[in-house]
Amino acid sequence: MGLDPVSVNMDQQLLRFMDQLETLEEKREKLNSLIEEGWFNISKARYSMGNKQVSSLQYANEMESLVCVHSSISEKGDVEFKCEQTELKTEDLKTSGTVENIGPADGGLRRRMNVKQKEPKEEYASKGQCETQPQGSIKSEKSLSQHQDPLKWFGILVPQNLKQAQAAFKEVITLSAEIATLQSAILATRMEMQAQIKEKHKICQGLKE
Amino acid sequence: MAGRGKLIAVIGDEDTCTGFLLGGIGELNKNRKPNFLVVEKDTSITEIEETFKSFLARSDIGIILINQFIAEMIRHAIDAHMQSIPAVLEIPSKEHPYDASKDSILRRAKGMFSAEDFR
Repeated sequence: MGLDPVSVNMDQQLLRFMDQLETLEEKREKLNSLIEEGWFNISKARYSMGNKQVSSLQYANEMESLVCVHSSISEKGDVEFKCEQTELKTEDLKTSGTVENIGPADGGLRRRMNVKQKEPKEEYASKGQCETQPQGSIKSEKSLSQHQDPLKWFGILVPQNLKQAQAAFKEVITLSAEIATLQSAILATRMEMQAQIKEKHKICQGLKE
Repeated sequence: MAGRGKLIAVIGDEDTCTGFLLGGIGELNKNRKPNFLVVEKDTSITEIEETFKSFLARSDIGIILINQFIAEMIRHAIDAHMQSIPAVLEIPSKEHPYDASKDSILRRAKGMFSAEDFR
């Protein structure tokens, strides 16, 4: 009588558990293939750059994490990990900003060649721009050093393979947070099922008596 | 550091560490302690175990990634870790493919089933 709801609950939990295991296996497979891809690209980069050019010796002396995980514990006791990657796009924007700033200055110079000496004020203005722009670029360089792209540890012009390796490992990092969440969920389901099994045994013993 | 979240730590061979550091997980804290360990041929098991335990004790680490063949060396320490944070993830290495039957989490999950439970 009291056995049916417990059994139904257990069945549901078992199905959920199996689903979680299946998802874990799929994600694991993807993770493994991505890591392999990353290694392959690192090896290719090493082949083109030289054996000692891609090793732990190139790691920077100062490092700051560009990735962090936020964890939140649910009511069931399982932990959810969310991966957050700091985009280096802000850096790119800043550098592209300096390029854009240089653009008009170049235009000014070009214009100076065409324009007769009638407009000294304009010349001054354009010179003023030229003088202020390098300061702006220095500022952006300072901010760049705070969040340096790890690719630059290995050189300025790194092979494409190293960039591909970086992309693969970034994906691996996101995936590893998902897998960690899933592992935690699996362990939580396992705990729940064990509790249900105990409950079922108690009910069974009660029925026998 | 990105936000105020936790870090990801790595214990692995050179290529694994290089890859993850390229991904941007590397950090040296104020005491210049890294969140990674490059395991080489001459790295002792004691050193690996101590580093693993120090990562477990650090409150700023959320996930520990470890090559499965290295995890095998310190299996007792991994099995003894029952808390959910930091989560320990076993990953393959170049010379040792991932074997699910060796994974601590999957072994724990597998261990719950016995014929008697489902009678």
